[in-house]
Amino acid sequence: MRRLNRVFLYDDGAARALKIEEIAKYLRKKLIKVGVEVRGNPFAFYLLQDKVSDYARKIASIKIQDATKKWSSEQEPLYGEIEYEKKMILGKTRASGVLYDGLELQRLFFEVIPGRERSLQFVHIVFSNRLFATWDEHERRYHARVNLCGIPSIISTTGVVEAPAKPRGYYLLRQQYEMLGKDLLELKNSFKGAFIDYEDLRLTEVMKGYAMQSVFYSLVGDPFCQDKGCRLYNAHWQEELIFAQIESEYEFCQRHMSFLEELNEY
Amino acid sequence: MSTEKIEVKEDKTIKELVGEMSLSSAPILLELDGEIFYPDENYDRKIQAGNRLTVIPIIAGG
Repeated sequence: MRRLNRVFLYDDGAARALKIEEIAKYLRKKLIKVGVEVRGNPFAFYLLQDKVSDYARKIASIKIQDATKKWSSEQEPLYGEIEYEKKMILGKTRASGVLYDGLELQRLFFEVIPGRERSLQFVHIVFSNRLFATWDEHERRYHARVNLCGIPSIISTTGVVEAPAKPRGYYLLRQQYEMLGKDLLELKNSFKGAFIDYEDLRLTEVMKGYAMQSVFYSLVGDPFCQDKGCRLYNAHWQEELIFAQIESEYEFCQRHMSFLEELNEY
Repeated sequence: MSTEKIEVKEDKTIKELVGEMSLSSAPILLELDGEIFYPDENYDRKIQAGNRLTVIPIIAGG
């Protein structure tokens, strides 16, 4: 088990419902001897003003246009796309409807973290509203993700809504609603509570568990747990996610609880 | 896959190392002497016998 030095939380235009200070408070309770610091937007935090345009261009160039085609470094972004990303970095707009290559996005965040802080002893967690995906070589398509553990770990407040599958009945009914031209909001309301939605009041609680996955990634090298009731469970269904993060009678399985106890004893 | 420590047996480049370990296309970071880097940005970098590297996989969830 690795010793942790500090946890840094960043806000890359995350959902309004996300209370990062509350997550920081939660982490301080769980990691008694590890400092937790809230920083703002990672690009704005680290970059000098004259570099903002460079990174806006870089981010605009990692957009996924077609989920069945792997991203290529030769993509040339449009002027409007660069301007949009500049606004995102400066906090003047929030991401919507854009899909990014997750690994490339993470690489851009990595670039701006100073070398002295690039260590697994430092847990960097970026909460982002951006929807990102990773390429599946076997299926030859992208898959949307909730989180990507690395340096930094990125957690998407859009991914938590879009990546884990909703109840099967929802998709069946959605097809019918779309064919009949019915209001999809009505359908969403009939499944209210069964999945995490945009600006969901449960978002902060859910994200505490994802933040802990990033912590365990640095701590033991593996962010996940097989126990469906443990917050480290890698949920692929909304139902599993809600159970692991909200409904389970315990937060962590015994094994992971003992890791935390050991960490707090140092 | 979780983090793995390896000891380099003979002098080689990062590119040779990741090739031998079949990690050329895997999303990973490497740590050497406290420095963490992307292997594909350091392919020509030379590592020596006795160097200890940590392979840090990037892990996606959800």
